[in-house]
Amino acid sequence: MKDELLLKVDNLSVRFAVKRGGGWRKKSYLYAVDDVSFEVERGKTLAIVGESGSGKTTTALAVARLVPAFQGSVDLEGEDFLTLEGDKLRQARAKVQFIFQDPYSSLNPRLRAEAIVREPLDSLGLAEVDEKRAIVDRLFKAVGLRPEQQRLFPHQFSGGQRQRIGIARALATQPELIICDEPVSALDVAVQAQILNLLRRLQEEFSLTYLFISHDLGVVQHMCDSIAVMYMGKIVEQADRLSLFNNPLHPYTVALLSAVPSVDKKRRKATRRVLIPGDPPDPVDPPAGCRFANRCPVAQPRCSESEPPLRDVKGGHRVACHLVDESAKSPMS
Amino acid sequence: MTALLKVENLRIELTTRDGVAPVIDDLSFEMNAGETMSFVGESGCGKSMTALGIMGLLPEKVGRVASGTILFDGEDLTRVSDARMREIRGNDISMIFQEPMTSLNPVYTVGEQIAEVLRRHQGLGQRAAWEKAIALLDAVRIPNPRSRVADYPHQMSGGQRQRVMIAIALACEPKILIADEPTTALDVTVQAQIFDLLRDLGRETGTAIILITHDMGAVAEMAERMIVMYAGRKAEEGPVDQVINHPRHPYTKGLISCVPHLMANLSEERPELTEVGGIVPGLREFGRDACLFASRCDMVNDKCRNARPPEVAFKGNQASACWFAEKV
Ligand SMILES: Nc1ncnc2c1ncn2[C@@H]1O[C@H](COP(=O)(O)OP(=O)(O)OP(=O)(O)O)[C@@H](O)[C@H]1O
Ligand SMILES: Nc1ncnc2c1ncn2[C@@H]1O[C@H](COP(=O)(O)OP(=O)(O)OP(=O)(O)O)[C@@H](O)[C@H]1O
Ligand code: SF4
Ligand SMILES: [Mg+2]
Ligand SMILES: [Mg+2]
Repeated sequence: MKDELLLKVDNLSVRFAVKRGGGWRKKSYLYAVDDVSFEVERGKTLAIVGESGSGKTTTALAVARLVPAFQGSVDLEGEDFLTLEGDKLRQARAKVQFIFQDPYSSLNPRLRAEAIVREPLDSLGLAEVDEKRAIVDRLFKAVGLRPEQQRLFPHQFSGGQRQRIGIARALATQPELIICDEPVSALDVAVQAQILNLLRRLQEEFSLTYLFISHDLGVVQHMCDSIAVMYMGKIVEQADRLSLFNNPLHPYTVALLSAVPSVDKKRRKATRRVLIPGDPPDPVDPPAGCRFANRCPVAQPRCSESEPPLRDVKGGHRVACHLVDESAKSPMS
Repeated sequence: MTALLKVENLRIELTTRDGVAPVIDDLSFEMNAGETMSFVGESGCGKSMTALGIMGLLPEKVGRVASGTILFDGEDLTRVSDARMREIRGNDISMIFQEPMTSLNPVYTVGEQIAEVLRRHQGLGQRAAWEKAIALLDAVRIPNPRSRVADYPHQMSGGQRQRVMIAIALACEPKILIADEPTTALDVTVQAQIFDLLRDLGRETGTAIILITHDMGAVAEMAERMIVMYAGRKAEEGPVDQVINHPRHPYTKGLISCVPHLMANLSEERPELTEVGGIVPGLREFGRDACLFASRCDMVNDKCRNARPPEVAFKGNQASACWFAEKV
């Protein structure tokens, strides 16, 4: 079972039609996800990080078929998830579940906790009535909620408890892949720790595979096995946890990591803060070359001429930067 | 040197349906010009209330200063008239609020909004105020300030809007700037720019900064001193490095160790995060004669449940309100 691929995403693009001033009824497209490919092994966690608007959520939604992909394929346990239909689709849907950022708005306020957790079983027609009751009992236990809390409504729970309900709901269909989109961002730090520990325990117990989106790099470092860094719809760097944090190569990744404030004095001493000026360019009209070129401290003329491809520079460490070669040295060092 | 701001035994009460509760309960601290002080703690601990108390902006009819003093440059802000307080707010103490999107007016350009503050508080003319607004946008590192000054808030990114808020707060060259979670909604790369800006500001103008945050990393990078709040009370206070290296309150210790921090030496090992069970007590619990952290504390004993712990002082200006502070 080891090293078995669970998810393989190839050349995935998602575009949105946007109205823009200028030509009469001119239709433009915003490529929120632009030719993105990655793989995740069963039982592992791939984190997606990157600036707000870089396409993390849209990537996740497209993988779960919650927004239509414009191009590309999503291979789930050897089947192309994006083209499945009917019964096959229903079965595949059960394998992919979502945990949302906001435990307040993602739960139906009129349903009791027990009904919320049972809902995916109902809608996918997955189990008999008493079977469902037993499953819900087990799930409540697995996420650390008490049996009598099944009868309560969402507003009667704390934020952390509501996120536990969201996790129980995601587990109901015995999924293979759980997509966590900022699962702890709305929670207080003390509660965050409980949920992160819970997610890791559940991963062990059920060999779950996670696609984990977070803007908190400390959390990402703690949770992931590998990381993809997105910038304006593209993956600009991807590597396993140690390579990415110990040897970030793309100038954007270097700047991103250097910006994280840390309590670790050693780290503060060791990292030189790299400030990147300005804002990302208009996503509807991306520049021709490297999309980071206008803010990149080491950009060369060729950076704004041709787009650097994402390529493997060293043992699976992939980078899209003209200035990184097989020596795997960051141009920023 | 006498302190720029000296808060003594401050008690702020909120009147709610459940009765009257001390949302700030016997808080004392002082800070000097040019100093950066950080307030940390979980949601609902009273960080924003402290700031609003100093600004004289407590929620009307609900909140009031019940006792204690807030001495600013020798003047007791709890006793000044409303008119005088408005003057101080405009000229000496300004605040950046938790939600930048809601505090800018969508129908005026950012230039008009900055210029308005300058005209009102510094008596500048139309022309001079506009020029100064451009200079301020430049100071907060908005690129092309001369053309961006005529932008409406919605034409700017979240980080730029927050920088405009800072420009407005700086317009009157305040002696104290209170920043309440100024970067919570922003990307870390933008947060780094804003922090840089605030640091320069402190250094160049001697403005004292009160930074409210829940991020220990931010505290470590930004502040010299810190106060950990819990349920309306000061749990711990001291120099930042000292408190982080050797917290003297179980709550501080929990706050530091429950977060996965980016570390210099990364290894394959990933131990479970420390969990601090339970949650911050509700307002109804505030004010009880007990340690309000007792229900979540792993050092708790009967004494903690029955009497409020006094503040224990340690070397190097550190202090902790815990019955067992020496043992932490
Ligand atoms: N339904 C939509 N219609 C049009 N544009 C959209 C839509 N959804 C997202 N976008 C745009 O697509 C881009 C990517 O958005 P996305 O939500 O995936 O970013 P993200 O990386 O998750 O950001 P954040 O960190 O803020 O959550 C953004 O420019 C966003 O404005
Ligand atoms: N207008 C109000 N009416 C009644 N209670 C209030 C009001 N504003 C705040 N409170 C209560 O006062 C307490 C302290 O709130 P405060 O806003 O100071 O917390 P905080 O530490 O700033 O939290 P956060 O990190 O969430 O901003 C909380 O229990 C809160 O529910
Ligand atoms: S006083 Fe007691 S309960 Fe409170 S923090 Fe100290 S040991 Fe814990
Ligand atoms: Mg998102
Ligand atoms: Mg607050």
